Amino acid sequence: MNAETSQLLSQTNFTPLDWGIVVVYLLCSVAVGLVARKFVVSMTDYVSAGRAVGTALGVATLTGTELGLITVMYSAQKGFGGGFAAFHIAVAAFITTFLVGASGFIVYRLRSLEVLTIPEYYERRFGRRTRILGGIMLAFGGILNMGLFLKVGSMFIVGVSGLSESSGALPGVMTCLLILVLVYTVLGGMISVIITDYIQFVLLSFSLLVVTGIAIVKLGWENIFSTILAEMGEKGFNPLVSEGAFGTEYVIWMFFLGLVACGVWPTAIARALSADSPATVKKQYMWSSVSFLIRFLIPYFWGICAFVFLVTKAPDLHALFFPAAEGVEGMNNLYAMPVFLGRILPAGLIGLVTAGMIAAFMSTHDSYLLCWSSVITQDVVAPMMGERLSTPGRIRLTRILIVVIGIYILYWGLVYDGRDDIWDYMAVTGAIYFTGAFAVLVGGLYWKRASSTGSILALLCGFVAVLGLSPVQSLFQVEWSSATVGLSTVGCSLAAMVLGSLAFPDRPKEGTR
Amino acid sequence: MSWMLLWKIVFVIGISGFALMAVWVTIAGAKDIKRLFKRIEESHEEGEA
Repeated sequence: MNAETSQLLSQTNFTPLDWGIVVVYLLCSVAVGLVARKFVVSMTDYVSAGRAVGTALGVATLTGTELGLITVMYSAQKGFGGGFAAFHIAVAAFITTFLVGASGFIVYRLRSLEVLTIPEYYERRFGRRTRILGGIMLAFGGILNMGLFLKVGSMFIVGVSGLSESSGALPGVMTCLLILVLVYTVLGGMISVIITDYIQFVLLSFSLLVVTGIAIVKLGWENIFSTILAEMGEKGFNPLVSEGAFGTEYVIWMFFLGLVACGVWPTAIARALSADSPATVKKQYMWSSVSFLIRFLIPYFWGICAFVFLVTKAPDLHALFFPAAEGVEGMNNLYAMPVFLGRILPAGLIGLVTAGMIAAFMSTHDSYLLCWSSVITQDVVAPMMGERLSTPGRIRLTRILIVVIGIYILYWGLVYDGRDDIWDYMAVTGAIYFTGAFAVLVGGLYWKRASSTGSILALLCGFVAVLGLSPVQSLFQVEWSSATVGLSTVGCSLAAMVLGSLAFPDRPKEGTR
Repeated sequence: MSWMLLWKIVFVIGISGFALMAVWVTIAGAKDIKRLFKRIEESHEEGEA
Protein backbone atom coordinates (compact mmCIF):
# COMPACT_ATOMS: atom_id res chain seq x y z
CA MET A 1 0.00 0.00 0.00
CA ASN A 2 1.57 3.31 -1.06
CA ALA A 3 1.67 6.51 1.01
CA GLU A 4 -1.14 8.18 -0.95
CA THR A 5 -3.50 5.24 -0.42
CA SER A 6 -2.66 5.07 3.28
CA GLN A 7 -3.33 8.77 3.62
CA LEU A 8 -6.73 8.44 1.89
CA LEU A 9 -7.84 5.52 4.04
CA SER A 10 -6.74 7.16 7.28
CA GLN A 11 -9.14 10.10 6.74
CA THR A 12 -11.75 9.01 9.27
CA ASN A 13 -13.71 10.69 12.06
CA PHE A 14 -12.69 7.91 14.47
CA THR A 15 -11.12 9.50 17.60
CA PRO A 16 -9.71 8.33 20.97
CA LEU A 17 -13.20 8.87 22.42
CA ASP A 18 -14.48 6.23 20.02
CA TRP A 19 -11.74 3.81 21.06
CA GLY A 20 -12.80 4.43 24.67
CA ILE A 21 -16.42 3.53 23.90
CA VAL A 22 -15.31 0.35 22.15
CA VAL A 23 -13.04 -0.73 25.03
CA VAL A 24 -15.73 -0.15 27.68
CA TYR A 25 -18.16 -2.25 25.68
CA LEU A 26 -15.68 -5.09 25.31
CA LEU A 27 -14.95 -5.13 29.05
CA CYS A 28 -18.69 -5.32 29.77
CA SER A 29 -18.98 -8.34 27.45
CA VAL A 30 -16.27 -10.24 29.28
CA ALA A 31 -17.96 -9.41 32.61
CA VAL A 32 -21.20 -10.94 31.32
CA GLY A 33 -19.32 -14.15 30.49
CA LEU A 34 -17.96 -14.30 34.03
CA VAL A 35 -21.34 -13.64 35.68
CA ALA A 36 -23.15 -16.20 33.49
CA ARG A 37 -20.64 -18.90 34.37
CA LYS A 38 -22.22 -19.62 37.77
CA PHE A 39 -25.50 -20.63 36.10
CA VAL A 40 -23.92 -23.42 34.05
CA VAL A 41 -24.41 -26.75 35.78
CA SER A 42 -25.57 -29.20 33.11
CA MET A 43 -24.86 -29.70 29.39
CA THR A 44 -28.43 -28.50 28.71
CA ASP A 45 -27.59 -25.22 30.51
CA TYR A 46 -24.38 -24.90 28.53
CA VAL A 47 -25.80 -25.69 25.09
CA SER A 48 -29.49 -24.72 25.29
CA ALA A 49 -29.71 -22.27 28.22
CA GLY A 50 -31.84 -24.73 30.15
CA ARG A 51 -34.52 -24.56 27.40
CA ALA A 52 -36.02 -21.51 29.15
CA VAL A 53 -35.88 -18.73 26.52
CA GLY A 54 -39.06 -16.66 25.96
CA THR A 55 -40.32 -15.16 22.68
CA ALA A 56 -38.80 -11.66 22.86
CA LEU A 57 -35.44 -12.91 24.09
CA GLY A 58 -35.58 -15.60 21.41
CA VAL A 59 -36.11 -12.95 18.74
CA ALA A 60 -33.22 -10.88 20.14
CA THR A 61 -30.84 -13.81 20.26
CA LEU A 62 -31.83 -15.18 16.85
CA THR A 63 -31.27 -11.71 15.40
CA GLY A 64 -28.07 -11.28 17.39
CA THR A 65 -26.68 -14.49 15.99
CA GLU A 66 -27.77 -14.10 12.40
CA LEU A 67 -27.07 -10.37 12.13
CA GLY A 68 -23.33 -10.58 12.54
CA LEU A 69 -20.66 -8.21 11.37
CA ILE A 70 -19.85 -10.75 8.67
CA THR A 71 -23.47 -10.37 7.45
CA VAL A 72 -23.15 -6.59 7.40
CA MET A 73 -19.88 -6.81 5.47
CA TYR A 74 -20.85 -9.37 2.81
CA SER A 75 -24.23 -7.72 2.35
CA ALA A 76 -22.66 -4.30 1.90
CA GLN A 77 -20.36 -5.89 -0.67
CA LYS A 78 -23.40 -7.24 -2.56
CA GLY A 79 -25.15 -3.86 -2.42
CA PHE A 80 -21.98 -2.11 -3.52
CA GLY A 81 -21.66 -4.37 -6.57
CA GLY A 82 -25.26 -5.20 -7.37
CA GLY A 83 -27.23 -2.09 -6.34
CA PHE A 84 -30.85 -2.33 -5.28
CA ALA A 85 -31.26 -5.60 -7.18
CA ALA A 86 -29.56 -7.24 -4.16
CA PHE A 87 -32.71 -6.44 -2.14
CA HIS A 88 -34.32 -9.60 -3.55
CA ILE A 89 -32.13 -11.66 -1.18
CA ALA A 90 -33.59 -9.80 1.81
CA VAL A 91 -37.14 -10.28 0.55
CA ALA A 92 -36.51 -14.00 -0.02
CA ALA A 93 -35.19 -14.32 3.56
CA PHE A 94 -38.24 -12.50 4.95
CA ILE A 95 -40.80 -14.58 3.05
CA THR A 96 -39.21 -17.94 3.81
CA THR A 97 -38.65 -17.20 7.52
CA PHE A 98 -42.23 -15.98 7.96
CA LEU A 99 -43.60 -19.07 6.20
CA VAL A 100 -41.44 -21.38 8.33
CA GLY A 101 -42.79 -19.62 11.44
CA ALA A 102 -46.40 -19.69 10.27
CA SER A 103 -46.29 -23.34 9.24
CA GLY A 104 -43.76 -24.62 11.78
CA PHE A 105 -42.04 -26.42 8.89
CA ILE A 106 -39.19 -28.54 10.36
CA VAL A 107 -38.65 -26.35 13.46
CA TYR A 108 -41.91 -27.13 15.27
CA ARG A 109 -41.47 -30.90 15.03
CA LEU A 110 -37.81 -30.71 16.01
CA ARG A 111 -38.57 -28.67 19.14
CA SER A 112 -41.42 -31.05 20.01
CA LEU A 113 -38.95 -33.94 19.98
CA GLU A 114 -36.78 -32.13 22.60
CA VAL A 115 -33.48 -32.92 20.93
CA LEU A 116 -30.39 -30.79 21.67
CA THR A 117 -28.96 -30.82 18.15
CA ILE A 118 -29.98 -31.83 14.63
CA PRO A 119 -27.66 -34.88 14.55
CA GLU A 120 -29.30 -36.08 17.76
CA TYR A 121 -32.52 -36.19 15.77
CA TYR A 122 -30.70 -38.14 13.05
CA GLU A 123 -29.90 -40.84 15.59
CA ARG A 124 -33.45 -41.10 16.84
CA ARG A 125 -34.82 -41.42 13.33
CA PHE A 126 -32.06 -43.14 11.37
CA GLY A 127 -29.55 -44.58 13.82
CA ARG A 128 -26.13 -43.80 15.23
CA ARG A 129 -24.05 -43.86 12.03
CA THR A 130 -26.28 -41.17 10.47
CA ARG A 131 -25.79 -39.08 13.59
CA ILE A 132 -22.01 -39.38 13.46
CA LEU A 133 -21.80 -38.70 9.71
CA GLY A 134 -24.30 -35.84 10.07
CA GLY A 135 -22.20 -34.36 12.88
CA ILE A 136 -19.02 -34.62 10.81
CA MET A 137 -20.67 -33.00 7.74
CA LEU A 138 -22.18 -30.29 9.91
CA ALA A 139 -18.93 -29.47 11.65
CA PHE A 140 -16.90 -29.63 8.41
CA GLY A 141 -19.23 -27.38 6.40
CA GLY A 142 -19.88 -25.07 9.33
CA ILE A 143 -16.28 -24.56 10.36
CA LEU A 144 -15.24 -23.98 6.75
CA ASN A 145 -18.17 -21.57 6.47
CA MET A 146 -16.99 -19.43 9.37
CA GLY A 147 -13.40 -19.50 8.16
CA LEU A 148 -13.50 -15.94 6.86
CA PHE A 149 -15.61 -14.39 9.64
CA LEU A 150 -12.65 -13.22 11.66
CA LYS A 151 -10.80 -11.67 8.76
CA VAL A 152 -13.80 -9.88 7.27
CA GLY A 153 -14.97 -8.61 10.67
CA SER A 154 -11.51 -7.29 11.39
CA MET A 155 -11.49 -5.56 7.99
CA PHE A 156 -14.46 -3.51 9.16
CA ILE A 157 -12.67 -2.30 12.28
CA VAL A 158 -9.48 -1.59 10.37
CA GLY A 159 -11.39 0.29 7.64
CA VAL A 160 -13.67 2.36 9.86
CA SER A 161 -10.94 3.35 12.32
CA GLY A 162 -8.38 4.28 9.66
CA LEU A 163 -5.91 1.63 10.85
CA SER A 164 -5.46 0.34 7.31
CA GLU A 165 -2.41 2.53 6.86
CA SER A 166 -0.53 -0.01 8.94
CA SER A 167 0.08 -3.33 7.21
CA GLY A 168 0.19 -5.24 10.50
CA ALA A 169 -3.16 -3.88 11.69
CA LEU A 170 -5.37 -6.61 10.23
CA PRO A 171 -3.70 -9.67 11.83
CA GLY A 172 -3.35 -7.69 15.07
CA VAL A 173 -7.06 -6.87 15.23
CA MET A 174 -7.92 -10.46 14.26
CA THR A 175 -5.86 -11.85 17.13
CA CYS A 176 -7.27 -9.43 19.74
CA LEU A 177 -10.89 -10.06 18.76
CA LEU A 178 -10.38 -13.81 18.70
CA ILE A 179 -8.89 -13.89 22.21
CA LEU A 180 -11.78 -11.80 23.54
CA VAL A 181 -14.53 -13.91 22.01
CA LEU A 182 -12.86 -17.16 23.09
CA VAL A 183 -12.64 -16.03 26.69
CA TYR A 184 -16.29 -15.43 27.29
CA THR A 185 -17.64 -18.20 25.05
CA VAL A 186 -15.52 -20.73 26.90
CA LEU A 187 -16.62 -19.33 30.25
CA GLY A 188 -20.34 -18.97 29.87
CA GLY A 189 -21.74 -21.20 27.12
CA MET A 190 -25.24 -20.57 25.77
CA ILE A 191 -26.42 -18.50 28.75
CA SER A 192 -23.75 -15.83 28.26
CA VAL A 193 -24.29 -16.09 24.48
CA ILE A 194 -27.98 -15.28 24.90
CA ILE A 195 -27.37 -12.35 27.24
CA THR A 196 -24.74 -10.80 24.96
CA ASP A 197 -27.02 -11.40 21.97
CA TYR A 198 -29.67 -9.34 23.74
CA ILE A 199 -27.24 -6.50 24.49
CA GLN A 200 -26.07 -6.64 20.91
CA PHE A 201 -29.63 -6.50 19.61
CA VAL A 202 -30.33 -3.29 21.53
CA LEU A 203 -27.06 -1.61 20.55
CA LEU A 204 -27.11 -2.77 16.94
CA SER A 205 -30.76 -1.87 16.32
CA PHE A 206 -30.04 1.67 17.43
CA SER A 207 -26.89 1.82 15.29
CA LEU A 208 -28.55 0.43 12.17
CA LEU A 209 -31.42 2.89 12.26
CA VAL A 210 -29.36 5.98 13.12
CA VAL A 211 -26.63 5.30 10.53
CA THR A 212 -29.22 4.67 7.84
CA GLY A 213 -30.88 7.99 8.66
CA ILE A 214 -27.56 9.86 8.53
CA ALA A 215 -26.64 8.23 5.20
CA ILE A 216 -29.95 9.34 3.67
CA VAL A 217 -29.55 12.89 4.99
CA LYS A 218 -25.95 13.17 3.74
CA LEU A 219 -26.54 11.71 0.27
CA GLY A 220 -30.19 12.58 -0.43
CA TRP A 221 -32.96 9.98 -0.83
CA GLU A 222 -33.66 10.62 -4.52
CA ASN A 223 -29.97 11.11 -5.32
CA ILE A 224 -29.20 7.59 -4.09
CA PHE A 225 -31.70 6.05 -6.50
CA SER A 226 -30.88 8.31 -9.45
CA THR A 227 -27.13 7.68 -9.09
CA ILE A 228 -27.63 3.90 -9.14
CA LEU A 229 -29.89 4.26 -12.19
CA ALA A 230 -27.28 6.39 -13.96
CA GLU A 231 -24.32 4.17 -13.07
CA MET A 232 -25.85 0.67 -13.22
CA GLY A 233 -29.02 1.10 -15.30
CA GLU A 234 -31.81 -1.52 -15.18
CA LYS A 235 -29.53 -4.19 -13.71
CA GLY A 236 -29.09 -2.05 -10.59
CA PHE A 237 -32.76 -2.68 -9.74
CA ASN A 238 -34.00 -5.79 -11.57
CA PRO A 239 -32.45 -9.01 -10.14
CA LEU A 240 -33.77 -11.09 -13.04
CA VAL A 241 -31.67 -9.30 -15.68
CA SER A 242 -29.23 -11.97 -16.83
CA GLU A 243 -26.37 -9.57 -17.62
CA GLY A 244 -26.54 -8.14 -14.08
CA ALA A 245 -24.96 -9.53 -10.92
CA PHE A 246 -27.78 -12.04 -10.32
CA GLY A 247 -30.31 -13.61 -12.77
CA THR A 248 -33.26 -16.01 -12.38
CA GLU A 249 -31.19 -19.02 -11.28
CA TYR A 250 -29.53 -16.93 -8.56
CA VAL A 251 -32.92 -15.67 -7.31
CA ILE A 252 -34.20 -19.27 -6.98
CA TRP A 253 -31.00 -20.20 -5.11
CA MET A 254 -31.56 -17.26 -2.74
CA PHE A 255 -35.09 -18.44 -1.90
CA PHE A 256 -33.72 -21.87 -1.07
CA LEU A 257 -30.96 -20.27 1.02
CA GLY A 258 -33.59 -18.23 2.85
CA LEU A 259 -35.40 -21.44 3.72
CA VAL A 260 -32.38 -23.37 4.97
CA ALA A 261 -30.91 -20.33 6.78
CA CYS A 262 -33.84 -20.32 9.19
CA GLY A 263 -35.12 -23.89 8.96
CA VAL A 264 -31.97 -26.02 8.78
CA TRP A 265 -28.94 -23.90 9.69
CA PRO A 266 -27.86 -25.16 13.12
CA THR A 267 -27.28 -21.80 14.82
CA ALA A 268 -30.85 -20.79 13.95
CA ILE A 269 -32.15 -24.22 14.94
CA ALA A 270 -30.24 -23.96 18.23
CA ARG A 271 -32.45 -20.98 19.08
CA ALA A 272 -35.57 -22.95 18.20
CA LEU A 273 -34.41 -25.81 20.43
CA SER A 274 -33.73 -23.37 23.29
CA ALA A 275 -37.30 -22.02 23.23
CA ASP A 276 -39.54 -22.75 26.19
CA SER A 277 -42.20 -24.46 24.02
CA PRO A 278 -42.92 -25.48 20.39
CA ALA A 279 -45.56 -22.74 20.18
CA THR A 280 -42.92 -20.15 21.16
CA VAL A 281 -40.76 -21.34 18.27
CA LYS A 282 -43.46 -20.44 15.74
CA LYS A 283 -44.00 -16.97 17.23
CA GLN A 284 -40.24 -16.43 17.45
CA TYR A 285 -39.80 -17.21 13.75
CA MET A 286 -42.67 -15.03 12.57
CA TRP A 287 -41.30 -12.05 14.52
CA SER A 288 -37.75 -12.82 13.44
CA SER A 289 -38.73 -12.69 9.77
CA VAL A 290 -38.52 -8.89 10.12
CA SER A 291 -34.97 -9.26 11.45
CA PHE A 292 -34.08 -11.63 8.63
CA LEU A 293 -35.27 -8.96 6.19
CA ILE A 294 -33.42 -6.14 7.91
CA ARG A 295 -30.17 -8.02 8.44
CA PHE A 296 -29.72 -7.94 4.67
CA LEU A 297 -31.70 -4.86 3.67
CA ILE A 298 -29.85 -2.24 5.74
CA PRO A 299 -26.31 -3.47 4.96
CA TYR A 300 -27.22 -3.63 1.24
CA PHE A 301 -28.37 -0.06 1.55
CA TRP A 302 -25.11 0.93 3.26
CA GLY A 303 -23.16 -0.71 0.42
CA ILE A 304 -25.29 1.16 -2.11
CA CYS A 305 -24.72 4.41 -0.21
CA ALA A 306 -20.96 3.74 -0.14
CA PHE A 307 -21.07 3.37 -3.93
CA VAL A 308 -23.08 6.58 -4.32
CA PHE A 309 -20.70 8.37 -1.93
CA LEU A 310 -17.68 7.38 -4.05
CA VAL A 311 -19.38 8.46 -7.26
CA THR A 312 -20.83 11.77 -6.08
CA LYS A 313 -18.76 12.95 -3.09
CA ALA A 314 -15.35 11.29 -3.02
CA PRO A 315 -13.64 11.09 -6.42
CA ASP A 316 -10.32 10.35 -4.68
CA LEU A 317 -11.77 7.19 -3.14
CA HIS A 318 -13.58 6.33 -6.38
CA ALA A 319 -10.25 6.25 -8.16
CA LEU A 320 -8.91 3.95 -5.48
CA PHE A 321 -11.72 1.39 -5.81
CA PHE A 322 -12.22 1.80 -9.59
CA PRO A 323 -8.80 2.71 -11.06
CA ALA A 324 -9.02 4.07 -14.59
CA ALA A 325 -5.68 2.63 -15.69
CA GLU A 326 -5.84 -0.85 -17.24
CA GLY A 327 -4.12 -3.64 -15.34
CA VAL A 328 -4.29 -1.80 -12.03
CA GLU A 329 -6.24 -3.73 -9.42
CA GLY A 330 -8.79 -1.75 -7.40
CA MET A 331 -8.98 -1.72 -3.61
CA ASN A 332 -10.84 -4.69 -2.07
CA ASN A 333 -14.47 -3.54 -2.18
CA LEU A 334 -15.12 -4.99 1.30
CA TYR A 335 -13.41 -1.85 2.60
CA ALA A 336 -15.84 0.51 0.80
CA MET A 337 -18.63 0.50 3.41
CA PRO A 338 -16.44 0.91 6.54
CA VAL A 339 -14.41 3.66 4.87
CA PHE A 340 -17.69 5.36 3.91
CA LEU A 341 -18.95 5.18 7.52
CA GLY A 342 -15.63 6.52 8.78
CA ARG A 343 -16.12 9.57 6.58
CA ILE A 344 -19.80 10.41 7.28
CA LEU A 345 -20.37 9.58 10.96
CA PRO A 346 -19.39 12.08 13.67
CA ALA A 347 -16.94 11.24 16.47
CA GLY A 348 -18.68 9.55 19.40
CA LEU A 349 -21.42 8.06 17.27
CA ILE A 350 -18.86 6.21 15.21
CA GLY A 351 -17.56 4.62 18.43
CA LEU A 352 -21.08 3.50 19.37
CA VAL A 353 -21.63 2.07 15.89
CA THR A 354 -18.29 0.27 15.98
CA ALA A 355 -19.12 -1.13 19.43
CA GLY A 356 -22.44 -2.30 17.96
CA MET A 357 -20.60 -3.94 15.08
CA ILE A 358 -18.10 -5.60 17.40
CA ALA A 359 -21.07 -6.78 19.44
CA ALA A 360 -22.48 -8.24 16.23
CA PHE A 361 -19.13 -9.83 15.48
CA MET A 362 -18.82 -11.39 18.91
CA SER A 363 -22.38 -12.64 19.21
CA THR A 364 -22.06 -14.44 15.88
CA HIS A 365 -18.69 -15.91 16.77
CA ASP A 366 -19.73 -17.13 20.19
CA SER A 367 -22.85 -18.82 18.81
CA TYR A 368 -21.00 -20.45 15.93
CA LEU A 369 -18.07 -21.57 18.05
CA LEU A 370 -20.42 -23.03 20.62
CA CYS A 371 -22.55 -24.66 17.95
CA TRP A 372 -19.77 -26.44 16.04
CA SER A 373 -17.85 -27.48 19.15
CA SER A 374 -20.95 -28.88 20.86
CA VAL A 375 -21.86 -30.78 17.68
CA ILE A 376 -18.43 -32.44 17.63
CA THR A 377 -18.74 -33.27 21.33
CA GLN A 378 -22.37 -34.39 21.41
CA ASP A 379 -22.75 -35.90 17.98
CA VAL A 380 -19.37 -37.28 16.98
CA VAL A 381 -17.22 -37.98 20.06
CA ALA A 382 -19.93 -38.87 22.62
CA PRO A 383 -21.78 -41.39 20.40
CA MET A 384 -18.45 -43.08 19.66
CA MET A 385 -17.55 -43.29 23.37
CA GLY A 386 -20.99 -44.32 24.62
CA GLU A 387 -21.61 -43.46 28.28
CA ARG A 388 -17.93 -43.06 29.10
CA LEU A 389 -17.97 -39.29 28.50
CA SER A 390 -19.35 -37.61 31.65
CA THR A 391 -21.11 -34.22 31.73
CA PRO A 392 -18.04 -32.35 33.09
CA GLY A 393 -15.98 -34.17 30.45
CA ARG A 394 -18.33 -33.03 27.70
CA ILE A 395 -18.24 -29.40 28.84
CA ARG A 396 -14.42 -29.55 29.08
CA LEU A 397 -14.11 -31.08 25.60
CA THR A 398 -16.51 -28.48 24.15
CA ARG A 399 -14.39 -25.70 25.64
CA ILE A 400 -11.17 -27.18 24.22
CA LEU A 401 -12.79 -27.47 20.78
CA ILE A 402 -13.91 -23.82 20.93
CA VAL A 403 -10.27 -22.80 21.29
CA VAL A 404 -9.10 -25.18 18.53
CA ILE A 405 -11.72 -23.87 16.08
CA GLY A 406 -10.77 -20.30 17.03
CA ILE A 407 -7.15 -20.96 16.13
CA TYR A 408 -8.26 -22.50 12.83
CA ILE A 409 -10.30 -19.43 11.79
CA LEU A 410 -7.33 -17.20 12.54
CA TYR A 411 -5.16 -19.40 10.31
CA TRP A 412 -7.78 -19.73 7.53
CA GLY A 413 -8.45 -15.98 7.46
CA LEU A 414 -4.77 -15.35 6.91
CA VAL A 415 -4.13 -17.98 4.20
CA TYR A 416 -7.37 -18.32 2.13
CA ASP A 417 -7.10 -16.42 -1.12
CA GLY A 418 -10.32 -17.21 -3.04
CA ARG A 419 -11.84 -14.74 -5.53
CA ASP A 420 -15.45 -15.40 -4.50
CA ASP A 421 -17.75 -12.73 -3.10
CA ILE A 422 -17.93 -13.48 0.64
CA TRP A 423 -21.66 -14.22 0.45
CA ASP A 424 -21.16 -16.75 -2.33
CA TYR A 425 -18.26 -18.35 -0.45
CA MET A 426 -20.50 -18.76 2.57
CA ALA A 427 -23.40 -20.11 0.54
CA VAL A 428 -21.19 -22.75 -1.05
CA THR A 429 -19.43 -23.86 2.15
CA GLY A 430 -22.73 -23.91 4.01
CA ALA A 431 -24.22 -26.04 1.23
CA ILE A 432 -21.80 -28.85 2.12
CA TYR A 433 -23.94 -29.35 5.20
CA PHE A 434 -27.38 -27.91 4.54
CA THR A 435 -28.16 -29.54 1.20
CA GLY A 436 -27.89 -33.02 2.71
CA ALA A 437 -29.41 -31.93 6.02
CA PHE A 438 -32.45 -30.47 4.24
CA ALA A 439 -33.11 -33.75 2.46
CA VAL A 440 -32.58 -35.80 5.63
CA LEU A 441 -34.72 -33.57 7.87
CA VAL A 442 -37.59 -33.24 5.43
CA GLY A 443 -37.44 -36.94 4.61
CA GLY A 444 -37.16 -37.95 8.27
CA LEU A 445 -39.87 -35.66 9.58
CA TYR A 446 -42.40 -35.94 6.78
CA TRP A 447 -41.82 -39.24 4.89
CA LYS A 448 -42.33 -42.58 6.64
CA ARG A 449 -40.35 -44.53 4.06
CA ALA A 450 -37.17 -42.48 4.46
CA SER A 451 -34.37 -44.90 5.38
CA SER A 452 -30.96 -44.69 7.05
CA THR A 453 -29.18 -45.62 3.79
CA GLY A 454 -31.03 -42.83 1.99
CA SER A 455 -30.00 -40.40 4.73
CA ILE A 456 -26.32 -41.42 4.52
CA LEU A 457 -26.29 -41.00 0.73
CA ALA A 458 -28.05 -37.62 0.94
CA LEU A 459 -25.54 -36.33 3.50
CA LEU A 460 -22.57 -37.49 1.41
CA CYS A 461 -23.96 -35.66 -1.65
CA GLY A 462 -23.23 -32.42 0.21
CA PHE A 463 -19.56 -32.78 -0.74
CA VAL A 464 -20.53 -31.90 -4.34
CA ALA A 465 -20.87 -28.31 -3.12
CA VAL A 466 -17.10 -27.85 -2.73
CA LEU A 467 -17.05 -27.56 -6.55
CA GLY A 468 -18.45 -24.07 -6.02
CA LEU A 469 -15.26 -22.76 -4.38
CA SER A 470 -12.98 -20.80 -6.68
CA PRO A 471 -9.73 -22.57 -5.71
CA VAL A 472 -11.39 -25.95 -6.42
CA GLN A 473 -12.74 -24.67 -9.76
CA SER A 474 -9.26 -23.43 -10.65
CA LEU A 475 -7.89 -26.88 -9.85
CA PHE A 476 -10.37 -28.58 -12.21
CA GLN A 477 -10.30 -25.66 -14.68
CA VAL A 478 -14.07 -25.19 -14.69
CA GLU A 479 -16.21 -22.12 -14.07
CA TRP A 480 -19.65 -22.65 -12.55
CA SER A 481 -21.70 -20.12 -10.61
CA SER A 482 -22.41 -20.72 -6.92
CA ALA A 483 -26.13 -20.92 -7.79
CA THR A 484 -25.58 -23.68 -10.36
CA VAL A 485 -23.44 -25.73 -7.98
CA GLY A 486 -25.77 -25.12 -5.03
CA LEU A 487 -29.00 -26.03 -6.80
CA SER A 488 -27.36 -29.08 -8.40
CA THR A 489 -26.22 -30.26 -4.96
CA VAL A 490 -29.75 -29.84 -3.58
CA GLY A 491 -31.09 -31.92 -6.47
CA CYS A 492 -28.46 -34.63 -5.88
CA SER A 493 -29.20 -34.84 -2.15
CA LEU A 494 -32.97 -35.07 -2.60
CA ALA A 495 -32.59 -37.70 -5.33
CA ALA A 496 -30.16 -39.69 -3.14
CA MET A 497 -32.59 -39.56 -0.21
CA VAL A 498 -35.54 -40.78 -2.30
CA LEU A 499 -33.73 -43.38 -4.39
CA GLY A 500 -31.61 -44.65 -1.49
CA SER A 501 -34.68 -45.04 0.71
CA LEU A 502 -36.66 -46.86 -1.95
CA ALA A 503 -33.78 -49.14 -2.89
CA PHE A 504 -32.58 -49.84 0.67
CA PRO A 505 -35.53 -49.54 3.08
CA ASP A 506 -34.95 -49.95 6.82
CA ARG A 507 -36.07 -53.15 8.46
CA PRO A 508 -39.26 -52.46 10.51
CA LYS A 509 -37.58 -53.03 13.91
CA GLU A 510 -35.00 -50.31 13.16
CA GLY A 511 -37.69 -47.61 12.88
CA THR A 512 -37.44 -45.49 16.00
CA ARG A 513 -39.81 -42.75 15.02
CA MET B 1 -44.98 -1.13 -10.73
CA SER B 2 -41.33 -0.41 -11.46
CA TRP B 3 -38.52 -2.20 -9.65
CA MET B 4 -37.33 1.13 -8.23
CA LEU B 5 -40.72 1.86 -6.67
CA LEU B 6 -40.95 -1.69 -5.32
CA TRP B 7 -37.59 -1.41 -3.54
CA LYS B 8 -38.53 2.00 -2.12
CA ILE B 9 -41.70 0.53 -0.61
CA VAL B 10 -39.88 -2.56 0.70
CA PHE B 11 -37.21 -0.37 2.30
CA VAL B 12 -39.60 2.04 4.03
CA ILE B 13 -41.90 -0.72 5.33
CA GLY B 14 -38.95 -2.85 6.40
CA ILE B 15 -37.25 -0.06 8.35
CA SER B 16 -40.51 1.00 10.03
CA GLY B 17 -41.38 -2.58 11.02
CA PHE B 18 -37.90 -3.15 12.40
CA ALA B 19 -38.01 0.06 14.48
CA LEU B 20 -41.26 -1.04 16.11
CA MET B 21 -40.01 -4.55 16.70
CA ALA B 22 -36.76 -3.26 18.22
CA VAL B 23 -38.69 -1.29 20.86
CA TRP B 24 -40.83 -4.32 21.75
CA VAL B 25 -37.87 -6.74 21.92
CA THR B 26 -35.83 -4.34 24.05
CA ILE B 27 -38.56 -4.08 26.69
CA ALA B 28 -39.93 -7.63 26.62
CA GLY B 29 -36.47 -9.17 26.22
CA ALA B 30 -35.28 -7.65 29.51
CA LYS B 31 -38.23 -9.28 31.28
CA ASP B 32 -37.44 -12.59 29.58
CA ILE B 33 -33.86 -12.47 30.90
CA LYS B 34 -35.14 -12.13 34.47
CA ARG B 35 -37.47 -15.08 33.91
CA LEU B 36 -34.65 -17.11 32.33
CA PHE B 37 -32.41 -16.84 35.37
CA LYS B 38 -35.31 -17.56 37.69
CA ARG B 39 -36.28 -20.71 35.82
CA ILE B 40 -32.72 -21.99 35.65
CA GLU B 41 -32.23 -21.43 39.37
CA GLU B 42 -35.50 -23.21 40.09
CA SER B 43 -34.52 -26.17 37.93
CA HIS B 44 -31.18 -26.41 39.73
CA GLU B 45 -32.91 -26.35 43.10
CA GLU B 46 -35.32 -29.08 41.96
CA GLY B 47 -32.34 -31.11 40.77
CA GLU B 48 -30.63 -30.77 44.16
CA ALA B 49 -33.85 -31.68 45.98
